[in-house]
Amino acid sequence: MLAKFDYIRPNTVKEAIHFLADENTVAHAGGTDLLGCLREHIFEAKTVVSLSRLRELQGIQKTKDGGLRIGALTTLTEIGEDQLVRETWPGLARAALEVASPQLRNQGTIGGNLCQKPRCWYYRGEFQCLRKGGNECFAEHGENVLHCIFGGENCFIVHPSDTAPALAALEASVHTEGPKGQRTLPVEGFHVPPRDDFTRETVLEPGEIVTEIVLPPPPVGLRSSYRKVRARRSWDFALAGVALAIVLEGDRVSRARVFLSGAAPVPWRSKEVEEIITGKPLTQEIIKSASLAVVKGARPLEQNGYKVPLFRSVMEEELQSVLHPAK
Amino acid sequence: MADSSGDGRDERGSGLTRRGFLSSMGLGALAAGASGKDLLAAGEEARSAVIKGEDATRVDLLINGRRHSLLIEPRWTLLYVLREQIGFTGTKVGCERGECGACTVLINNVSRYACLTLAIECEGAEIVTVEGLMKGEELGAVQQAFLEKDAFQCGYCTPGQVMAVEGLLRKKSDPSLEDIRHGVSGNLCRCGAYTHIFKAARRAAEIKAQGR
Amino acid sequence: MAEATRGNNAEPIPVHQTPRPGETPRLWEKTRFVGKALPRVDAYDRVSGTAVYPSDVRLPGMLYGAILGCPHPNARIKRLDTGKAKGMPGVHFLIDGTSPEADFNWSFRQSRPPKEMSIKIFDPHCRFEGDAVAAVAAETPYQARDALRAIAVEYEILPFVSDERTALQPGTPGVHAGGNLVQTEKYERGNVEKGFTEADIVLEESYRTACELHTPMELHGCVAAWEGDRLTLWESSQGVFAVQSTVAAVLGLPLAKVRVIGNYMGGGFGSKLDAGKYSIIAAVLARQTGRPVKLFLSREETYLSVGNRPPCNMRLKAGVKKDGTLTAMSFTVLATGGAYPAGGTSLVDWQVRDLYTCPNVRIESTDTYVNAGPARAFRAPGHPQGSWALEQMMDALARALKMDPVELRLKNVPAFSQAREGQPPYATTGLKQCLEEGAKAFGWKEATQKTKPPSGKDAGKGDLRRGLGMAAGLWFVGGANPPSTVIIRMFSDGSVNLNMGASDLGTGTKTVMATVAAEELGVSPQSIQIENADTGTTQYTKPSGGSKTVPTESVAVRAAAIHAKQQLLPIAAEELKVDAGDLLMRDGIIYSKTDNSRSVKIASLAGLKKVGVIVGIGTRDPDPPSKVVNPFAAQFCEVEVNIRTGEVNILRFLCAHDSGRVLNRLTYDGQVIGGVTMGIGLATTECRILDAKQTGKMVNRNWHDYKLPTSLDVPAEIVSLPLEILSPDVNHVGAKGLGEPVTIPTAAVIANAVYDATGIRVVESPISPMQLCGLLSKERKEG
Repeated sequence: MLAKFDYIRPNTVKEAIHFLADENTVAHAGGTDLLGCLREHIFEAKTVVSLSRLRELQGIQKTKDGGLRIGALTTLTEIGEDQLVRETWPGLARAALEVASPQLRNQGTIGGNLCQKPRCWYYRGEFQCLRKGGNECFAEHGENVLHCIFGGENCFIVHPSDTAPALAALEASVHTEGPKGQRTLPVEGFHVPPRDDFTRETVLEPGEIVTEIVLPPPPVGLRSSYRKVRARRSWDFALAGVALAIVLEGDRVSRARVFLSGAAPVPWRSKEVEEIITGKPLTQEIIKSASLAVVKGARPLEQNGYKVPLFRSVMEEELQSVLHPAK
Repeated sequence: MADSSGDGRDERGSGLTRRGFLSSMGLGALAAGASGKDLLAAGEEARSAVIKGEDATRVDLLINGRRHSLLIEPRWTLLYVLREQIGFTGTKVGCERGECGACTVLINNVSRYACLTLAIECEGAEIVTVEGLMKGEELGAVQQAFLEKDAFQCGYCTPGQVMAVEGLLRKKSDPSLEDIRHGVSGNLCRCGAYTHIFKAARRAAEIKAQGR
Repeated sequence: MAEATRGNNAEPIPVHQTPRPGETPRLWEKTRFVGKALPRVDAYDRVSGTAVYPSDVRLPGMLYGAILGCPHPNARIKRLDTGKAKGMPGVHFLIDGTSPEADFNWSFRQSRPPKEMSIKIFDPHCRFEGDAVAAVAAETPYQARDALRAIAVEYEILPFVSDERTALQPGTPGVHAGGNLVQTEKYERGNVEKGFTEADIVLEESYRTACELHTPMELHGCVAAWEGDRLTLWESSQGVFAVQSTVAAVLGLPLAKVRVIGNYMGGGFGSKLDAGKYSIIAAVLARQTGRPVKLFLSREETYLSVGNRPPCNMRLKAGVKKDGTLTAMSFTVLATGGAYPAGGTSLVDWQVRDLYTCPNVRIESTDTYVNAGPARAFRAPGHPQGSWALEQMMDALARALKMDPVELRLKNVPAFSQAREGQPPYATTGLKQCLEEGAKAFGWKEATQKTKPPSGKDAGKGDLRRGLGMAAGLWFVGGANPPSTVIIRMFSDGSVNLNMGASDLGTGTKTVMATVAAEELGVSPQSIQIENADTGTTQYTKPSGGSKTVPTESVAVRAAAIHAKQQLLPIAAEELKVDAGDLLMRDGIIYSKTDNSRSVKIASLAGLKKVGVIVGIGTRDPDPPSKVVNPFAAQFCEVEVNIRTGEVNILRFLCAHDSGRVLNRLTYDGQVIGGVTMGIGLATTECRILDAKQTGKMVNRNWHDYKLPTSLDVPAEIVSLPLEILSPDVNHVGAKGLGEPVTIPTAAVIANAVYDATGIRVVESPISPMQLCGLLSKERKEG
């Protein structure tokens, strides 16, 4: 059960940031990930700062240029069921609806989904792993069927977010506010790979919070999608996921961004696939070589070798479905 | 320990009540180190609620249409407060980690896990538990449908399943089979009554459509 | 049998003749309530949220208990400092291995120990992760957990073994001083070598089923309260009398001083057949604090210490003649019940021994110790594991013979139990009907003969392949498990109280028993008041489990109802001046079947008012040893497999079961869909994972990482096809057990369907995308 903490519920972002700058102080948005972590005593919080009264962080709005602004406290259900998002950025809507379970989507926020802690069972369990201040990553030589095939090096988690790869593919940016002011960062690059710093998951500084996510206006011919394979059909993280944002000009791919979930400690960009398909029509040949390229450089661990054929298959399937969209 | 005043009258409005403030302060005051007591006169908008972890604070919760005024600690979950403080034991405890759905309640008409919800976060929200679906001693539509279709076995996940279906039907009154399967996909049933639950959800939609 | 009619055109309502004392009742021919799809008698309570489960109980002054579990799979406690914890806010009492108040002996297998192995409640040597180290009672559960975190324990961490496959290898750390072998059991009939030489085809394969956890929705635990020297436990339990007997024995109390109340309970599946350490600890904490104590384990704790279906390794060699006759089977089993004797290999061999006619069978089962939580019985112990091996083997044999798998099984349907001494016949054996009727209802022939989609592309859905699978099974019990006593009281107004000690696990026991009583007494099931299981007020019986409850209790209930009628009718006979044998009763009225004008309301019987209440007592005798009462099953399914990703979608399922008479069609179907859903878990998602190479700790001890099937993992409909074969040889109600048999063949059915779709024989459970994607890739010979 949860240990004691002080609770603060500010009414403005400024106040929130002020309180969050203190040590051992954590932000509570939807709370689904935070309370789970506190229950497991992965870290202790002296103070929990609730963001629930920060109205300015809520809601979805079209921007003047035809893009979209999503308040950080917008729930995943709200995003997944938003008519505009479904029509214009279906990859994001799908990703939002693939998260966890209906109740968790009703409570979990887009900001929280980007900032969530790893789901590695060593990290979440009673193991003093590297990320929790210990000396080793237990997954490297232990039970690693769910772990990463790219970018592990010293910590072999996979990033748990479904929305992050979809947002990164769509070139979304994250707006933040912190003690040092406001920042705008691309979602790609928002997450910190363990080789840079294995103690944190995002570039957020102490006291800094995500305030909104902004999607640029959709280019003509944008096709976005998200496909997730998991061990059970609800309530599960990705074994392998592919987020695509492809701009088609006729049958030719003029731009492509491809991000993977379940592959690496951060949403993993597959430049290899992008390079192969960009500027070309999606022929069977191109699709085949793209699906081979997606796992180029993969370094599977003892138990997760299946991810290599799995990513190939999912990549091929997704590119095929760009050619033959369902319905 | 808990005291519930079910009279539904409360002139203090929503939000933390005055008795509940251990300290309540605006930013300027915080910097000046002023005590919370001095700040009670200040404008509501400027204040953040600050509650110390070791203290129980008076909080009003609106549950099943009645206001409950309770002393609660910040760390207490809505699930714990419902079951062990108030005695609404229809809401069940299965995992306390958001992994089973036995504690599903509606908060502002939306299904959520009470185990991953701090009670203090629910101030000002409308909470409905399985007890709140009853009309006196008469079963609500979803409950009636679960009874008719035998959509349970041990019954321990049932209140959560019922609330998940209630939440679904409030959003979508005529759900398809796929809507239903997704709608209850956040509720485990170890007895494995799922296929009867699908039938019950359809039946519940019918009963509701008949205006019951 | 007699009939009465309601109105002019209504169906005749069956009314049952009352047998004379000592006369065995005959099977009902037509029934009024039995077998109908009637809602449960306690449905309202369960759906309204008013049913009180033990975890819902709140008593005045109640404290909350919590247990500190050992974080290591094998460790000795060197030093334990509880000083800080004792002084924490809200803490009332703390006990550990040094507390004289808690110095009690404990055995992890209370009721049927194959080998007595007694330890302490707080043993200084913890041989599995999660075993109890200390416990505390505090004002709130939060404070109890705060206190546990403040206890400082220094452990001597010992080498451990997690994997039963290495447990017996030289150099492996021993769980106990005597090594890791629990026992080896052997069974042999006929001449296996000769049998194999007679075979035209001999196949051999290794199989493994992963360790499964019960994880019922309600946590394990109880509320304990003392009144003077009497202990009351509200325990989430399948058997209040078993809990009573264990708690009394451990605490050294007279049985009469221990009352165990079941109320409702939120699922057990075998893991709540007896008391746990938590029952004892709650009782001790309550005694020492003088306050009631609620102690329920956390979900994570239940993953470690309250049982499992053991991981099981099997090798099966089977020989068959061209015509499909089985000639010989040789079966070896290696499994583990965990750190203490707990039946790791128990009944794994039963399908091989007895499901099909086979004259030559040899079995060797080796049970081992590992440093993991002790097993507890899990729905059809051993059977789904053995079925995983046997039924996949039968499928492979059928394919090798180019024979329909249904046909192959029909060739080998047994008429008697080969594995039992004297090879007694089955009272009824519905295996043939299950296979034939099930295949017909499923459309097996048509489905298997349908042309498969070409192996190339299939219009955008090129990666999806359909597959069909089937398997059969039997459950080795399913008849009586006496003793059992049931009391039916009829009050002077004609209202009826049914008093029995059997817990309703959610299987519908109360509903079914009310239905049986109602059928016999001619009143509606809803009108019968049933007591919840309670050692203080209800009658002795064995725990509900093993599919024995219906065939045991229903017979006792019917006998009690008849006994009540045998007392009531003479009273009416005297008042109506007719012979008691001429009387029938229905809807509160007793009437003469020969003279309609002679009738009386039960509520008006002066003789009944005079005695106040009629007490009908029914007991359950053992089944006659001459015949074996076993339920049989055949199940069929269709799957769709994505042959690139390894995702399996179960499209439809049909279950044909011979469990004798259906007592309530809704709860019967409930057992069927539930058993299949649980089998889907074994087949596709469930697997305990221990960090065997590093710490020996369980890594997936929660409902996220240990995956139960969700609403999206089951087919939209699971068809239940009861084959009611009624015979007085079963018992005078005609029902055999159902709960266990349903879950026995399911996993193998799915494995066979996956083979049909992919050509890959998945011999290890679960068939997850992780496993299947890798196998499919290997099959395609990708690098």
